[in-house]
Amino acid sequence: MNDLDLLLLVSIGTTAVLFAFGTWRWAGALGTLLYALQLALLAVMRPELPLASGIGFEVLGYRLQWSLSGLGWFFAIITVASALFSAWFAAGEWGQHRRNLRLLHGGLALNVTAMLILLASDDLISLFIGWELVSWASYLAMVQRGGPAMDAAYRYLVYALAGALAVLVAIAMIAAQSPALDFGSVRVWFASAGNGTIWTVMLLTMAGFGVKMGLLPLHLWQPAAYSESPGPIAAFLGAISSRMGLFAIIVVLAQLIGLERLGNLPVAFSFWNANEFWAWLAALTLIVPTFIALTQNDARMLLAWHGIGQGGYMLLGILIATPLGVSGGLMHVINYACYQAALFLAVTAVAHRTGTTDLDHLGGLINRMPLTYVTMLFCIIGLAGLPPMNGFVSKWMIYKALLDAQMPLLFVAAVIGTLGTILSVYKLIHNTFLGQLRLEHAQVNEVPISMWLPMILLALIVFITGWMPGLFLDLVDEAVVAIGITQLPHHLGGVDLGNGGLDMLWIVGVLLAAIGIGAIVYFLGNRSVRVGQFDNYAGGQILTADVPYQYSHQFYAGLLRVIQPWMRGGMAWGERALVSGADFLGGAMSGLYRAAPAGAYLLLAVLAALAVTLL
Amino acid sequence: MNASVLMIALPLLAAFLLPLTGPLARWVGPFAAALNIALGISLWQTVAQEGPSVVVMGGFAAPLGIVFRVDTLAVLFATALAALVLILWPRTSADPRRESALLLILLAAGCGLAFSGDLFNLFVFYELIAVASYGLVAASRERLAAAAGLRYLVLSALGSAFALLGIGLVYALAGTLNLADLSRHADALNSPLGLAAFALMLLGFGVKAELFPVNAWVAEVYSTATARTTALLAGGVSKLALLIVLHLVLLVYAQPAALSLLLTLGLLSIVSGQFAGYRAADLPRMLAYSSIAQLGMIAAAFSVSGEAGVLAGLALALHHLIVKPALFLVGDGWPKCVDSLAGLGRAEPWRAALFVLLALSLLGIPPLPGFWAKLLLLKALLGMGEPAWNLAAAVVLLGTAIEGAYLLRVLQTLFRGTTNAKPATFGGALPAGVLGVALLLVMLAATPVGGALQRAAQQAADVPAYVADTLGGSPQ
Repeated sequence: MNDLDLLLLVSIGTTAVLFAFGTWRWAGALGTLLYALQLALLAVMRPELPLASGIGFEVLGYRLQWSLSGLGWFFAIITVASALFSAWFAAGEWGQHRRNLRLLHGGLALNVTAMLILLASDDLISLFIGWELVSWASYLAMVQRGGPAMDAAYRYLVYALAGALAVLVAIAMIAAQSPALDFGSVRVWFASAGNGTIWTVMLLTMAGFGVKMGLLPLHLWQPAAYSESPGPIAAFLGAISSRMGLFAIIVVLAQLIGLERLGNLPVAFSFWNANEFWAWLAALTLIVPTFIALTQNDARMLLAWHGIGQGGYMLLGILIATPLGVSGGLMHVINYACYQAALFLAVTAVAHRTGTTDLDHLGGLINRMPLTYVTMLFCIIGLAGLPPMNGFVSKWMIYKALLDAQMPLLFVAAVIGTLGTILSVYKLIHNTFLGQLRLEHAQVNEVPISMWLPMILLALIVFITGWMPGLFLDLVDEAVVAIGITQLPHHLGGVDLGNGGLDMLWIVGVLLAAIGIGAIVYFLGNRSVRVGQFDNYAGGQILTADVPYQYSHQFYAGLLRVIQPWMRGGMAWGERALVSGADFLGGAMSGLYRAAPAGAYLLLAVLAALAVTLL
Repeated sequence: MNASVLMIALPLLAAFLLPLTGPLARWVGPFAAALNIALGISLWQTVAQEGPSVVVMGGFAAPLGIVFRVDTLAVLFATALAALVLILWPRTSADPRRESALLLILLAAGCGLAFSGDLFNLFVFYELIAVASYGLVAASRERLAAAAGLRYLVLSALGSAFALLGIGLVYALAGTLNLADLSRHADALNSPLGLAAFALMLLGFGVKAELFPVNAWVAEVYSTATARTTALLAGGVSKLALLIVLHLVLLVYAQPAALSLLLTLGLLSIVSGQFAGYRAADLPRMLAYSSIAQLGMIAAAFSVSGEAGVLAGLALALHHLIVKPALFLVGDGWPKCVDSLAGLGRAEPWRAALFVLLALSLLGIPPLPGFWAKLLLLKALLGMGEPAWNLAAAVVLLGTAIEGAYLLRVLQTLFRGTTNAKPATFGGALPAGVLGVALLLVMLAATPVGGALQRAAQQAADVPAYVADTLGGSPQ
């Protein structure tokens, strides 16, 4: 039994233990420890990558085997770490007065197990099995709150099921032609397959895996499904769940078909190739949901919409197919997981104290919940991709790679997406923490240490890895090499490039110095008078504390007036059209059976058959 | 006497002697079914060791005499039917003798159909099954069931008449009804008239095989007959009718036009069944429509020439034989209206969990056995490399997505909210449980089961060997 077998065993054991003892007081803490153990196992097995598991089956002539490559290992680290922080957050006060803790902890562990099985898959069938396990495990995580959560999860599952079937058809297509389905053989098969075949397989698999990733236009299920799940679960799902789709897409596009082949695959009747096609879809995925996020009035929905958009950056980076682009795209996965998990946890913390995530009913919590504020501040800077946080580094790498690869239009698209992100994350922090404190929140306190410590740790990781991106770039290397791309030369502070690199040690140093000088000026020259948060007056008139004076409803009304005409909900319309089409056909078919002049159908069919065959 | 003949003779004998058995009447049927399973297993071992064999009745060799063909496929179907009959045996019945007799006749005829090597015997056994099934459907005390049963009877009788017409045409054209002999004279049937005969037989046998458009009885009967009868019809009888179709396309009508016709009807069954199921508001109807679609998939699989199609159809058929009866049994006793199922997931967690397991396998979620069946089906369809069969793969995809939408709706409803209703009696707990366990066992034993199915398909698809075995290796 090697380390991978041990890891899978521990993970399955974690699931079993947490389902068995989920209602126990210390279940959350136990889960945290078990995830830490899994993380340690992952760290230990790093020198052995790629590591093949001793477990394997042979069914109907197909060998099912599992092996963790550097790519899977990279995603596995993020998965287990996200689960660790989520479980930790839920372990203390947050989980104490909740029902269904068994489902919460067990469901989380089941998700981790399913994801590890997916990440370790080494042939198309084990990939598909892992894929379905992940789909159903995340369904279990989504439905927990009942009511609208169940509707959202149902919508997700219908998408996921249809997508999985598309993947199954693609696998069957390969199985009908290729002698074996292990990744090695499939790679050989792809090398000899014609363009049309590759396009068919690629469209089918992208339709399936794109559902999970939220690739446009398959993203509609995602925001509600994530934000309706319980807080720590939302953090976990938001951080990593969609990235399973990205993982599978990377396996197909980069590992099996090969990015080089992708660039030589023409799109019929156009000057495009497959690579550009997917890159533009990624760009759309990055822009559209980001601007939809801008219009959201619920903090969790806002974050979930961003999750879709950020996935676009990752795919875009990988499709650039240069070491810098691929490293940037993959690094964005881990960076994003850190700040997205922390942001969901921060929003959950606010909801825990105030009972709402409605951005129209929050505000001014900065003094009441300072640590949560710091978490959110650090992480929105990361999400917006500004220095000195880690999100800046990966986005910079993607921008730079786009420019180096002479894709200026995609660069502009990426920048437009970032602009939308900056605007909407400011809305998030402003409506939650800045502005006027609401009277009903006057007595709100900071969350207990069991909740703020994991959040703050994540925020610190976001900062430290922004300062020293080399820490994450080391991990990214494993994945980059596994895809077959040359390793990107890098150091603790950033990357070295022939035409100018990035050294965050220096940038952060300058930034901190500037902040220091600003602080000195501020404290020495401070002439301001501190007033209480309820000490409002306007136009010389004193207002009572219950009059909302500084509030923010319809944030960015002016901007939205400009962009709203473009937001016609075309994709939602398409979805409704599909549903009503199915309803219509359903009605027609059940009418056909219900009318049931049974003998008449038989006679007609016989007549028709005789006419067709004899005439 | 050969075990295959015993598998028919014993249940028939038991059925006729039933009135004489007195207080033992209750046990005669299950005993005969169990005996049949044992015989089936022994036959299985014989076939595995010695290969397929041919049993000649009364000493007249084929093509003149009546022959039984004992191969893996036939043994598999005969044994599976016996097992299904045993599992579904009614434990409490007002009139055990009548029902037992009908079930035993159905069992005997089913075995006969599985083993028969000529078209006329296939038809005779098919009719015997039909008669037994009318009795079983009519046994339900519901008034609606009587009406549905009558319609079923009329449609079935019409279907049989057309099938017989088709068989008559075949005899007129080829001068023989022995399948092996027909296989040698397949050219004689490769004409418009021959194809018309096939169409007549397909539509005639299609009534029981739930093929579009001659399946209008399905939803009505399945939602009114007793759950055990429904389970038997959906699980067992429909597969036997498809077995005749398989024999036809494999041995006699390997021509593209016939295969296209079968594929077309299969695809129409899938589309009509799944969409009607999507709209169905009550559970038995929904399951009935899903059954239509599933049988459509089996028909589509059989329309693929060669071993791949047989293998896929076989896997789908056996999977459906386990899953669908169990689903009908689990749903039996629950409120029929899907919306009224709310909260039952909490009230009866084990029963709901069983439903979930079965539904997931039906959808083809790995690693449940349904997944392998679906993979084999898609692989077989795409392996044909022809546009119509590629389209079929797309139709299967669409149909399953629709099926997922409505089955998930049921699952969702089961676990939504709470119910004040007292837990309904779960009369089918034992048979449904046994079938559920069987499903899990197949999942765990996927490797050997897959191997056995592959051998069966290989043997069945080897037409020259079939002909040589039956006609004594004297190719003309």
